[in-house]
Amino acid sequence: METLRSAFDFSDFPRLDISIVGMVAIFLLVFPLFSHSAFAMATMIQFLMFSLYGMGWNTIGGYGGQVDLGKAQYVGIGAYTTAVLLIRWDIPFWFSMPLGVCFAVAWSFIIGYPLFRLKGHYFAIATIATSLVLMDLFGVWEFVGAARGLEISPIKYHPPDFWRLIFKEDIYYYYVILGFFFIGILYVNGFRKSRLGFQLRSIKDNEDVARSLGINVHWAKIKTYAIATAFVSIVGSFHACYIKNIEPEDTMSLDISILIALMAMLGGAGSLWGPIIGAAVLIPLKSYLKEWLGATAGLAGIDLVIYAMIIMLISALEPRGIWGIVEKRRRRKRR
Amino acid sequence: MALLEVERLTKNFGGLSANQDISFSVQKGELVGLIGPNGAGKTTLFNCISGLYPVSSGRVIFDGVDITFLKAHDIARRGLARTFQIYAASGDLNVEENVMVGCFMRTASTAKAKDRARDILRELNLSDLGNALVSELPVSAQKRVTMATALGSGPKLLLLDEVAAGLNPNEIEEIMINIRHIHDDLGVTVMLIEHVMELVMNVSDRVMVLDYGRKIADGDPKHIAKDPEVIKAYLGERFIRDHGKVSA
Repeated sequence: METLRSAFDFSDFPRLDISIVGMVAIFLLVFPLFSHSAFAMATMIQFLMFSLYGMGWNTIGGYGGQVDLGKAQYVGIGAYTTAVLLIRWDIPFWFSMPLGVCFAVAWSFIIGYPLFRLKGHYFAIATIATSLVLMDLFGVWEFVGAARGLEISPIKYHPPDFWRLIFKEDIYYYYVILGFFFIGILYVNGFRKSRLGFQLRSIKDNEDVARSLGINVHWAKIKTYAIATAFVSIVGSFHACYIKNIEPEDTMSLDISILIALMAMLGGAGSLWGPIIGAAVLIPLKSYLKEWLGATAGLAGIDLVIYAMIIMLISALEPRGIWGIVEKRRRRKRR
Repeated sequence: MALLEVERLTKNFGGLSANQDISFSVQKGELVGLIGPNGAGKTTLFNCISGLYPVSSGRVIFDGVDITFLKAHDIARRGLARTFQIYAASGDLNVEENVMVGCFMRTASTAKAKDRARDILRELNLSDLGNALVSELPVSAQKRVTMATALGSGPKLLLLDEVAAGLNPNEIEEIMINIRHIHDDLGVTVMLIEHVMELVMNVSDRVMVLDYGRKIADGDPKHIAKDPEVIKAYLGERFIRDHGKVSA
């Protein structure tokens, strides 16, 4: 009961923030009514998906300070579980999605247990490695289509199919992912005020101090990593139904892992709104760059150059991202 | 039965013996000072007792249980709390939230942890600072916040590592009031490492002295101050001069 109340309680934010959030929420709810461009719609869905990825990353990476660059492997596990179950046994999304979460969390325990013995950069590198290994494994595994991947053909179903999440129009996908988006915000809002949330921030500060306060540091990290994994896996499952065509190179690439971490860091790691702000900046940027530059002028790598510049700017100016700048200004004003 | 019993504890770092064959016990309700020159092995001893370092040999018994090989967080949960000499002040958490982290050891409820944190801040006269970021506070307040955080975990024994180092006389007075309150009124057994002699000699029931990793004295503060070996090892000529006649 207390947890539920805590999830809906945003009272520690200034009134200005709450009204902005309210307006954004209303905008998101009515957006499809006046958007007639498929491109804008697709971008918005991407924005919501990546916000959720970022929120998940933010639990372990932001609040816990464990920079994870291997989130794509869980996108893959979620996406593949849903796609394989649907194609082979016609098991609908709402069953395969939780099952995907179970697989992803199980995998996160297997690699989290040894990986969290590592710290800092070593942890980050190890997460990249496990993600790449998993991608390669899926790339040769015939059962899941190897390098060709899997394709969900919508002809077989009768959209709109809410069970299997097969739709013709993007608007349905939009509202499904928007629902997850709101739930995600409430979850993280509760999480940051929970015991685990506090313990994690203490761990980020100083692990010895955390230990001396009775916190099982290793276990707290593994638990949070599982939470982050669940977020990513759910969106991965959604991704399978939405994109309908998954390949290891697409769904599990290093680019995705880096983009997830980068968005959260740009917006503000360790803050509730950070990942959303980061996604709101980077996803439209990525989409428009691809549309205008990538296809026409053959500047396929330009987005990577821009990411690199953003990383440099964050680390030089404000390690706590855009939200860090906002908070700094507020503190200065109060004094 | 003693609350804390340390039996022949030895800690080696490679060839260097930071703690050698140290035995002592702390009774329930005592306030024990631990002094010694820099590098004598005081903090190492705390790290061994609280489980951050594995001991090389010897035993640590706390509240009737052998905790020598327990993990640090398990030891903390049994009621042994500590503060740290160098505190990496939290960037994100304010004072109240810091103390809440300690309180979360005994409750999973955020509301209860918050109430308890407020109570503790009131007990230590820190209520005014609840909303400040720890990193923005002066050192003395930071040290008191670490004491409050450790206290939040509801300890039976509190190990304080140089809470008065680098403070001015007024601040030392405040810390002293806090320590007395924790010990006298809240009934927590306290062991403290300290270089500030006014404090350690004033508040301690008993003082232990380490030098080069060995325990060289253990007893009444007045006797310790007169012990020739202690004077030689630690207090130095100046202390003798400042405090008048110390007959060997």
